[in-house]
Amino acid sequence: MAEKKLELKNKRFTGPFTLIISVVVFYLVVKIMCRSLYSQMVVNMALVFCLVAYSVSVMLGMCGELSFAGVAFMGIGAFTIANLTTGRFGFKISPLGAFLVVIPVATFIAFIIGLILLRLKGTFFSFSTIALVQVAYTFFNNYRPLFGGVDGISGIPSVRILGKQLTNHYLWFPYLLVFVVFVGLVVEHIRNTQLGRSMASCRDNETAARVLGVNVYMTKVIAFTISGVLSAMGGALYSMLIRYASADMFTYDTSAKYLIMAMFGGVQSTIGAFIGALIVQILPQVLKVFQRYFQLIWGVSIILLMVFMPEGLTGIFRMALKRRKSRKKGRISVIQEKGEE
Amino acid sequence: MAENETRKPILKLENINKRFGGVVTAKDIKFDLFPGEIKGLIGPNGAGKTTLMNIISGIYTADSGTIIFDGMDITNVPDYRRARMGIGRTFQSPRFLQRSSIRDNLLIGADLGNRIGFLEGFFGKKSTNFEQELKDMMDLLHFGFNWDDEISSLPFGQRKLLEIVRSLLSHPKVILVDEPAAGLNPKEINYLMDILRMAARKMNIGVLLIEHSMDMIMDICDSIYVISFGVPIGEGTPEQIANNHAVIEAYLGKEDE
Ligand SMILES: Nc1ncnc2c1ncn2[C@@H]1O[C@H](COP(=O)(O)OP(=O)(O)OP(=O)(O)O)[C@@H](O)[C@H]1O
Ligand SMILES: [Mg+2]
Repeated sequence: MAEKKLELKNKRFTGPFTLIISVVVFYLVVKIMCRSLYSQMVVNMALVFCLVAYSVSVMLGMCGELSFAGVAFMGIGAFTIANLTTGRFGFKISPLGAFLVVIPVATFIAFIIGLILLRLKGTFFSFSTIALVQVAYTFFNNYRPLFGGVDGISGIPSVRILGKQLTNHYLWFPYLLVFVVFVGLVVEHIRNTQLGRSMASCRDNETAARVLGVNVYMTKVIAFTISGVLSAMGGALYSMLIRYASADMFTYDTSAKYLIMAMFGGVQSTIGAFIGALIVQILPQVLKVFQRYFQLIWGVSIILLMVFMPEGLTGIFRMALKRRKSRKKGRISVIQEKGEE
Repeated sequence: MAENETRKPILKLENINKRFGGVVTAKDIKFDLFPGEIKGLIGPNGAGKTTLMNIISGIYTADSGTIIFDGMDITNVPDYRRARMGIGRTFQSPRFLQRSSIRDNLLIGADLGNRIGFLEGFFGKKSTNFEQELKDMMDLLHFGFNWDDEISSLPFGQRKLLEIVRSLLSHPKVILVDEPAAGLNPKEINYLMDILRMAARKMNIGVLLIEHSMDMIMDICDSIYVISFGVPIGEGTPEQIANNHAVIEAYLGKEDE
């Protein structure tokens, strides 16, 4: 019998060419389909929430820890923007400048919180993130000096990019799309580095991780930090889009939506988070007649997905691809057997 | 020849003790493992062999005793640091990242060898000659794979062999191998012995080998350490062990005369 050969070529689903084509096609489709500012806004929101779905994909998909903390970090991102751009501290910076400040602020806060919460494991960790969301919400809702209390903070100025004021959702769209795709590429890249593999080892086999030199605790803290920064960027863009930030945008209730986005698309893949965010955000607007039932529809479809296809839509796609491949292989081996006779 | 030089042990256990409740799994275990030596660790089921490996790799902490590795006291060093210092390990049933490709599963071994830090890794510093090393080892093992495939697509025996490869890719100084031959066919057992010999002779790694197959132990080991219910009952060359009464008794039961 012939031995199977060692094949070390890297096969990728998407080369840079496919990626650029897909992004351009997506751009054109949206341009053609979105006839109103409202529908463009829905798409823009989906793109922004996509960042939060990425954060779920990092923490749950790569690292195997379920965290609800996304909305808390969204709030941190949004209120950082609101405070810095409206002059509440006695000085004003531009929204884009403030966005650059969000990243170190979120990194710092997420790292510290991660150090504390990740002393807990599994379900206990998950519960502690729920508590974190409640604590954050209470601050957002009640502490006026920083968060404006129940009124929130309004008056965030519109963003200026390349000398152009992004005054409506049409103008926002291309920038958001490029940014979200770029961040997606970074996340995908992390998956294929030492850090990504360390996270996967924490997810799949902690003992193996340890004897392979992975500091499980620190790896999870880093994953939590990355995930916090992603959410904070989502929250920051959210507030820049609607030019307003208030506590009720970041309640525990809304955190379920981001989980559903990531799970629906498939937590194991970056593109899954992207697709999931789009579907969960856009579908209810397209099928307006069913809008009252959408909570129900999401609920049922998540249950069905988790039971039958825990890796979401991209999981289904991957399975189908593998089946096709193995069917082809099956055919070849049949031919070989005949040849040997 | 260099043989007569005073060799320094790479791993030194001094009076290791461990008990789980009333069960003694290690009692005053002490031995030296030298670079390039293959040392068999044998004993009946439940003797405490796996437990001892867990103590060496830091998954368990010993109740008392000292572990010296490469001249350093590592008794209180956490497990992942020990791995980075060069203590490799395979398991009785192989432990892989089930949801990852073969590539990622092997690269994580090479990651350990490089440990270039997350940030440098992010900007794409590549492991030196990972592919060549892998190819050389797969030549010894006589099987191949497409490394985009999932790890679960490999049969059990190949997965066990690949776990050794993963560990060797990290360039360890000591490798702890727990029952590698269980579940392998005779051909694969030969390949297994080839790669373990290669590790010891060519890479100068100290190999600690748990195995129930006496043929293999007698064939491949330079020295053997025997424990029964956590208590050391014999130590020596394969010939010495084969004629050691205490060892024969522990394995076959006391002969009545
Ligand atoms: N974490 C633990 N808690 C309690 N008892 C344990 C634990 N780990 C091992 N033991 C006990 O220690 C004893 C030795 O177990 P160990 O797995 O080291 O045996 P072994 O020599 O590897 O046996 P085998 O040849 O069957 O693999 C057994 O009685 C086992 O039940
Ligand atoms: Mg054992």
